[in-house]
Amino acid sequence: VTQPRIAVFARLANGEAAPTRLITGQNTLLGRTIHGLAYDPAHDEIVAPNALADAVLVFRGAATGSEHPLRVIQGPHTHLVTPHAVSLDVQNREILVASLTGKRINVFRWDANGDATPVRVIEGPKTGLGHVVGLAVDPERNLLAVANSQDILIFNRTDDGDIAPRARIAGPQTGITDEPWQMEFYRGHIFLAASNHLHQNLYDGVTLKPGMNDVPDDPWLNPVLGFVGVWNITDNGNVAPLAMIRGPFSGLIHPVGLALNPRAGEIYVSDSVRNGVLTFLVPQFLQQDSRLSNSNTSSNTNSNTHSNNGLAK
Amino acid sequence: VKASVPVNKLAAGCIFALIAAIAVLPQTSHEQSTATKPAPEDIAPVRVIADPYPAFNGIAVDGANGLVAMSDPNRKSLLLYDRALGATQGEASVPMRQIVGPDTFLGMIAGIILDPRHEEIYAANNDIEDTVVVMPYAVSGNVKPGRVFSVPHQAWGLALSGENDQIAVTVEVQNTIVFYRRQVKGVEAPVRIIRGRATGLADPHGIYWDESHNEIGVANHGNFRGVVSNTGGGCTPSFVVENQAEAGESLPPSIRIFSATAKDDAKPLRVIEGPKSGLDWPMGVAYDPQHDTIAVANNGDSSILIFDRNSNGDVRPLTVIRGKRTGITRPMGIAVDSQHGEIWVSNWGDHSAIAFDSGAHGNAAPKRIIRSAPAGTATPGFGNPMALAYDTKRDQLLVPN
Repeated sequence: VTQPRIAVFARLANGEAAPTRLITGQNTLLGRTIHGLAYDPAHDEIVAPNALADAVLVFRGAATGSEHPLRVIQGPHTHLVTPHAVSLDVQNREILVASLTGKRINVFRWDANGDATPVRVIEGPKTGLGHVVGLAVDPERNLLAVANSQDILIFNRTDDGDIAPRARIAGPQTGITDEPWQMEFYRGHIFLAASNHLHQNLYDGVTLKPGMNDVPDDPWLNPVLGFVGVWNITDNGNVAPLAMIRGPFSGLIHPVGLALNPRAGEIYVSDSVRNGVLTFLVPQFLQQDSRLSNSNTSSNTNSNTHSNNGLAK
Repeated sequence: VKASVPVNKLAAGCIFALIAAIAVLPQTSHEQSTATKPAPEDIAPVRVIADPYPAFNGIAVDGANGLVAMSDPNRKSLLLYDRALGATQGEASVPMRQIVGPDTFLGMIAGIILDPRHEEIYAANNDIEDTVVVMPYAVSGNVKPGRVFSVPHQAWGLALSGENDQIAVTVEVQNTIVFYRRQVKGVEAPVRIIRGRATGLADPHGIYWDESHNEIGVANHGNFRGVVSNTGGGCTPSFVVENQAEAGESLPPSIRIFSATAKDDAKPLRVIEGPKSGLDWPMGVAYDPQHDTIAVANNGDSSILIFDRNSNGDVRPLTVIRGKRTGITRPMGIAVDSQHGEIWVSNWGDHSAIAFDSGAHGNAAPKRIIRSAPAGTATPGFGNPMALAYDTKRDQLLVPN
């Protein structure tokens, strides 16, 4: 990361565009490693993590310059450990936080401030949580989808403690290999930036791990391309995406950031290799239809079937 | 109004046109489609925000060899320029050499240093690769590094000591300085580290090595989450659970000066910290032997701060270079050319690096400007954007670095 900041662009910005405003500077308390970001339309607020200060920062929606956050969730009672991604459950008024090294999900009230205790924490060996990034809530079915190390885990929204996921979307048909990243939920569907990007680190802290003898190949040259994938939140098992954006014309290499704009029929994707933001006009992806696919002739050959008629479990 | 491009700038134009093509067009090197038309899922974007030009992060100068070099995490390249070059009409400057391409191992690079004696360039891959790349001065294009060595995740600043034959690397999340032997190659353990509560290191960035006083100075942003035993190797999927982190803190920014031979949980010799200092996200730092001062790229308020080397505590800088005429905009790197009495600054806020007389102060105009794009070119300023949000109220995209 270069300069820690949140840059704001007009939705229709294109090409070598400049941001219309910047949230940046010491007073913002921002740092590097912002792997998830959320806008709260109900309260007109921006929620951002600071992984290097074990904090969650909440700014007013119109924040600009070196503006101090409205609220800072930080302290020993927060149980935050490298919180690198945040998401929002607007309907239930909660902030969801993905911990990179704590292998846990912390849930706070939307207005939590200071050394606040989370209302729920999902953690423990039964959870299967590892490299947690994207979090998305289906408020209607009361489900929580989690972009995990090499899979998508589905929990009950109100799960708390060491609870096994109720479903797991994983396997070769999914196309997900390593590090699925930011995730959104809309009308029964999970939208995932599947980075397929493996980042190997030879160090444990500042100590070389045993048996590390060679510098790995450049992970940005990983030949397994990433993609944007859509699943039913009720899917389970080795399930191919309902729809995808993938391939050389898409320009996606290792997509990571993802946001939806159903009104305009657009999906926004950031790509760490391209170092840019791409807009896809795909209104067909944003409809409530169990037959959602890239084309009418495409078929899923996976042994597991999509379910949109109820809970998979 | 953009200036017309002179003929002698066409070479630069060609280079940047190639870079622009790489930036704007979909990259097909990974999985070439053999189909005559795109697969149904191969949907082209309707808009792409990206910067086709190099963006300068770190900067280093070798006065003896007449070079100034910049790290470019945007297009993932190193650029070397004639230090005496100056773009005066707003056109892009012509680099002597650009090192760019998939064989180079260059990625999200931050700090850069030059070793005039051995004619080598060092650049720290801050993210993803977790390496330091070492290139000979003379190479250009898509070349393999002379050496690559692994470092902990989030390496940012670099400093070299010929006398000690060591290289120092700052590591943000670890709140640590790691030291390697100068000729390190591949996977080697550090020869020593500075790390611990007493050090006060908190999200360290730029670093300098002052051999004349046997000191090391380090810029800190203040983000602190304890001196934890395990940070999970950055983004590596790991099932090792870390529950031992101390509570996070947002500490004041600081410049911490250590003995160059310090190790482990060593206390700094001096600390510049506090509201009088004006520190605001200090990025690059450099020692100026001519004036016995410390120069700081103060990113947060777009200024250069100059402190007396012996400053300690909440002290004001001797000099501040700041203002509209200076051209300083979100500075990242800083380098001192004591041979020519100049301070170089790399700007993240536009596509430029600027040289000042080392005695400059206030709203001083730079002596020379090197540009990686024509003046006035918009600057997206992305640095590995790993997340997005959509502001439904303002119809805007929120993009963090």
